[in-house]
Amino acid sequence: MLKELALAFLLLLGVSFIVFAILYAAPGDQLNVLLEGQLPTPEVRAGVREALGVAQSWYGQYFSWLLGVLSGNFGTSIRTGLPVGPELLSVSLNTLYLTLGSMLVTLLIAIPIALYASARGHLVSISWPLTMLGYVISALPVFWLGYIAIYISIHWFNFFPLASLGRQSDVNGWLYTFVPVMVLGLGSGTISEVIRNLREEMTRVMAEDYVRTARAKGASVWRHAFKEGLLIPVTEIIAAKIPFILGGAVIVEQVFNWPGMGRMAWQAAQDRDFSVIMGIALIAATFVRLGSLLQRTICAAVNPQHARE
Amino acid sequence: MTAAITPPLLKIDNLRTYFYARSKHSFVRAVDGVSLEVGHSETVGVVGESGSGKSIAAMSVMGLISAGPGVIGGSIKFASHRVQKNLLEGLDKFVKVEEQHGRVMVVHKDDSGWQNASERIMGSLRGKEIAMIFQNPRASLNPYITVGEQLTEAIRLHTANKSPKESTERALYWLERVKIDSPRLRFDSYPSAMSGGMCQRAMIAMALSSEPSLLIADEPTTGLDATIQSKIVDLMEELKSETGISTLLISHDISVISRLADRVAVMYGGAVVEYGSAQLVLGEDASIKHPYTAALLASVPSEQKIRDKDNLQTIDGDVLDTINVPPGCRFFARCNQVTPEIKEKCATHHPDLREIAPGHQVRCWRFNG
Amino acid sequence: MKKYTQTSGEIGDFSQLPIWQKYALVDLLYVAYGLLIVALVLVSYVLGMFNLLPHDPQQINIELLMASPLSDGYLLGTDFLGRDILSRLIMGIQAYFLPGLLAISISLIVGVVLGVLSGYRGGRIETVIVYFTNLIDSFPRLVLILLVIAAFKPDIYYIMIVMGITGIPTVTTAIANKIRFLAQKSFIEAAIALGLRTRVIIMKHILWYNCRALLIIQATLGMGEAILLETSLSYLGFGVQEPVSSWGNMVQSGANYFLQGNFWPSTAPALAILFTILGFNLLGDGLNNILEDRRGR
Repeated sequence: MLKELALAFLLLLGVSFIVFAILYAAPGDQLNVLLEGQLPTPEVRAGVREALGVAQSWYGQYFSWLLGVLSGNFGTSIRTGLPVGPELLSVSLNTLYLTLGSMLVTLLIAIPIALYASARGHLVSISWPLTMLGYVISALPVFWLGYIAIYISIHWFNFFPLASLGRQSDVNGWLYTFVPVMVLGLGSGTISEVIRNLREEMTRVMAEDYVRTARAKGASVWRHAFKEGLLIPVTEIIAAKIPFILGGAVIVEQVFNWPGMGRMAWQAAQDRDFSVIMGIALIAATFVRLGSLLQRTICAAVNPQHARE
Repeated sequence: MTAAITPPLLKIDNLRTYFYARSKHSFVRAVDGVSLEVGHSETVGVVGESGSGKSIAAMSVMGLISAGPGVIGGSIKFASHRVQKNLLEGLDKFVKVEEQHGRVMVVHKDDSGWQNASERIMGSLRGKEIAMIFQNPRASLNPYITVGEQLTEAIRLHTANKSPKESTERALYWLERVKIDSPRLRFDSYPSAMSGGMCQRAMIAMALSSEPSLLIADEPTTGLDATIQSKIVDLMEELKSETGISTLLISHDISVISRLADRVAVMYGGAVVEYGSAQLVLGEDASIKHPYTAALLASVPSEQKIRDKDNLQTIDGDVLDTINVPPGCRFFARCNQVTPEIKEKCATHHPDLREIAPGHQVRCWRFNG
Repeated sequence: MKKYTQTSGEIGDFSQLPIWQKYALVDLLYVAYGLLIVALVLVSYVLGMFNLLPHDPQQINIELLMASPLSDGYLLGTDFLGRDILSRLIMGIQAYFLPGLLAISISLIVGVVLGVLSGYRGGRIETVIVYFTNLIDSFPRLVLILLVIAAFKPDIYYIMIVMGITGIPTVTTAIANKIRFLAQKSFIEAAIALGLRTRVIIMKHILWYNCRALLIIQATLGMGEAILLETSLSYLGFGVQEPVSSWGNMVQSGANYFLQGNFWPSTAPALAILFTILGFNLLGDGLNNILEDRRGR
């Protein structure tokens, strides 16, 4: 467990280094502007600029930026002039909401299909139309899917899903999130791969000796195959797909005008507001590593051999 | 003597289990017309080399064959005190076989229909009336669940001891009975923490804890160290006399079979080639044996041979390819007892099982008229 | 009822069976479709390169707004400015074709080098390489690209280099896993024992004989992803700008009309994206199944 935490920490450190390095290599004065943006007031900034007549070393700049970030100071947005940190928090939560919801949708669709296909045994036959459907959905551009969803909800259900994410009454509020979550869940390109992966794993586990023993003793095969055949593969593949879902969120937030990290990142890229985009990159990577950490913890908890190491 | 009054516990009649090699467009005739019986309180050993079809036959009895086409014909009659059933009853409506020159060339099978019907029949029997233990005991136990839990699962399913306390008691009782060391400790262990021998004892406990009428043991000593093997055989001998359970024992190891079996069936190339009491089949007299049995017995070196550092006796040729099944006797290519008179018959006609002495059957042209 | 038939007489030799009996029909169809798409893309790329298009993709025709497909010389109709959709679609391929090739080249070349080092050498090198692949994998692609866009200019080639880099981990782990799998089979040991030079072992035996399929599949899937990425980016407004067409910006500019019920200007490019990515993915999947002989018949 400790080893996992240390690994995650080292990786995030590496991530921060890459993010910093990109900015360092960028043309123009960005770096100094960024660092200055982390300082609290204009006066202090002016003072520091005077004091720093000599160019600081890159690692000095890196550490000062990093320390700032770790204490929550992500710098100042070029566009708004406001500190980035608090803003990031609220949009991250919105995106997290979207991401988790869409994972749920993906699993709710993929797991039954995968289990059905693996129970059938034959790799081709009946599961083919479903597999094909999965491929088509994965190849669909998610932004177009979003427009279809909007069109349907407007014209068939008289429901305009683009209203801003205000604190609506509970029932309506839930509906407003439903559409983008559905779209992201279907369109993040992960469904067909999740189905294929889960089906393969379950089929493999069903052929294991110990499942044969369970069958021979009249026990519930499902109960024995579940851990290795479903629980572990699901956590593995979901953790692996988090980066893709986050990427999809960028687009879906654009389509639905959802105030999340993705839309903020898009805005920041347009404005070249790098303190914002860097913060988002860091938070996104943190989500990814947290997901991975969670997955490995579950694996260790379930697998007695791992637990002993 | 076969009892004329009570039917045998298990009677397999002309069982055929085929598989399909898609890359070669042909059938793998794994079990090609096997008939044998297991009586009450009797141990029947099935011996043969790898590929002879013995494991497949056992799995066919349990209904564990899922690859296509699988079991395509025959009957398996099970008759214990509590249950009497034909395990393949009604299943022939899902299979249609076309033969040419006595060989199966086309099989039509409704796989899912067959599986469902088979499950309906076998579901109430597996674990309760017929229990099975396998080779590679460490791989055959669920690595994610403690041994104790796997045992109590079987107990809760098949006996009246449903409460946690009762099932645990019974599980511990059986763990002690299979002479596993520190039963309480093993109860809470995972299979990965136990050796192969201990896992096999646990499996035996699991199988016997529901007091089934028939135990099918598929290569129970294979994969274990030699010293452990003999300990497991000791255990099985003891349990056999204590519980009086009937066993269908599959093994390629003749020493194991000779220690445990009352009757022996020798399988080669998917068919039974000799069948009779252990004394007759495994005995010294080579003149009343199937050539394969004789060769098999001769290949196990005797004490004297080991002392003399004699050459090991081998059987010429390769194991039968159950795809390219020859038209005549399957052992013909490797047989060293073919005489000129029967040579042509051996090459072209597959012999039947003929009774050459009461209770002793051999499938060989040497003994047929 | 499933039918199992035995060939009478001699048992058939697998390698001499005609192709439609050797492999599952489904896989052959996948590959055929995929190859068709690849051919179309190539042809369209060339057409676009030499401007051999039915109409000028940027020519506005006020009198012919939103013409439906098959009308009057406009095979796929016109968009909301009267521009020919087919020509715009063909030109749209320019936006992703070369950059996509660049991206998969980077992924494959660097990925193979790192994968071989990691799988063959193991030990410390493997730990370092695994660290780096995990590092790259920690970023969602789009976010990383947006970061690069914010820092540098939104040049498609910069973007595709980033895309190529983000594709390295998949290739690396695939190759390293394959090598580890082969190592278990001891033929690498055998090759070393025979005295073959390391370079020969790697290039010939491992890569060419055993990883061919893998690499082809990674290339096809990678191209599919490159297309998805480029279209997403141009949808978001980065990359190719109006009036030059890219499939992504075509969908975006047709969005308002879509919501009003004029589906075609957005749908045509979306379908192009769908069928093209589907083609690459199916090609990869079909080849995978054929070359690794997974399916039964």
